[in-house]
Amino acid sequence: MREFISARSMLLASAVAASSLGVFGFATITLGAAIVGETRRVDLGQKAAAGLDALKAQYKRPATIPFPKENPYTPEKAALGKKLYFDTRISVTSAQSCASCHSPGYGWGDGLAVGVGHGMNKLGRHSPTVVNAAWGAIFMWDGRLATLEEQALGPIQAEGEMNMPLDKLMQRLASIPEYKPIFDAVFPGEGMSPKTLAKAIATYERTIVSERAPFDAWIEGDERAISPEAKRGFALFNGKAQCVTCHEGWNFTNDGFQDIGLASQDIGRGEYMPGVVKMKHAFKTPGLREIGRRSPYMHDGSLPTLEAVVDHYNHGGVDRPSRSDLMQPLGLTADEKADLVAFMKTLDSNLNPTAVPVLPR
Amino acid sequence: MRKLIPVTIAVLAGLSAGALAAANQEIHQKGRVFSSENVTLKKGDALTFINDDSIPHNIMSASKGNEFNLGSQAPGAATDVTFKEAGDVQVICAIHPRMKMMVKVTD
Repeated sequence: MREFISARSMLLASAVAASSLGVFGFATITLGAAIVGETRRVDLGQKAAAGLDALKAQYKRPATIPFPKENPYTPEKAALGKKLYFDTRISVTSAQSCASCHSPGYGWGDGLAVGVGHGMNKLGRHSPTVVNAAWGAIFMWDGRLATLEEQALGPIQAEGEMNMPLDKLMQRLASIPEYKPIFDAVFPGEGMSPKTLAKAIATYERTIVSERAPFDAWIEGDERAISPEAKRGFALFNGKAQCVTCHEGWNFTNDGFQDIGLASQDIGRGEYMPGVVKMKHAFKTPGLREIGRRSPYMHDGSLPTLEAVVDHYNHGGVDRPSRSDLMQPLGLTADEKADLVAFMKTLDSNLNPTAVPVLPR
Repeated sequence: MRKLIPVTIAVLAGLSAGALAAANQEIHQKGRVFSSENVTLKKGDALTFINDDSIPHNIMSASKGNEFNLGSQAPGAATDVTFKEAGDVQVICAIHPRMKMMVKVTD
């Protein structure tokens, strides 16, 4: 048993009530806390490894996009959201749009190590892709926002990013005559507001889904769709390399937070859960669709290639208390590392070009 | 007649072991899912969190009066948590944001 947890550990857990947005605020130690007993081992029995067919079944693409009942899909709402997404006038300088950092040309990221915001200043973290955001459980690298609607308003207002206060944004949009009738038609009785703007952008973002990749064709039975190297890579991904412990399912993430031992000083999720050791330096596991187009990699953009990423995991990263227990040296051979990279490249789809919408004037 | 005594002891011992086991409700974590989304307990009762998944979890609560943090709980580990205050306790896995459950602690 690696970790024995005594009743003393309850002091660690002393916390104030959870706030909204999936963020937990830990403040002073309080007296009333649950009592944690000693941890003991239980026998989980022998588990047979899943056969290849059972494994492949876990990666089948979903047939439909999930939309929340609070913000259902309409084609008109997604079309309005697309205009807003590509409209530079939602930034204070009228120079940046959502697409500046989340561009279809770069797998819906920006191809930079870290994003560039207001005043051309560098941001602290890599611009994440918006591909498959519809399936996200929680948003931002540090999970500080609970919904895509909240996320849509975050970068617009952030001083370092688009630096646009919401009241000023509403004035700006009101000064563009063609926007109001579109909002009125999409949101009858609600019209133009930060809330409807966020709903429209989030709806468009949910329609940004990675298209069918060679991997999907293989999953559906076309044995020639991917190479023997990639097939071996898939077996390693689910076996010796243990990638699947975090990058699971058709979108290759369970949205979990892990410290993967990168040297960065950024504490990530730890800012919002300061009493939880494993959340220090922890960042949300990104999905791997379109991954070949999304370099450089990691939350800090510190690794230039997929080969470097595999090397990092093979090494195990910085050993510190917060590092995930799943991060251990893997002992991969050069061939195995190449097979993993070959596999990941089968997750790139033949993305159709995205047409930039004509914007209201 | 002499044979009856050990048999009786064995039965009684079995019963008491069974009664103890039944006292704690269990929450399993297999497949990154809590086995129950809602559990009701009496104040002072314990809940056993069993990590029968293949990866570590970090079960915790920040609900006032019943805060706890199991830290990184390895596969194959089981830990009892005794709740001291009546009220609704939101239990989460700090690592996996889809894992959420509510423990209702009654007086």
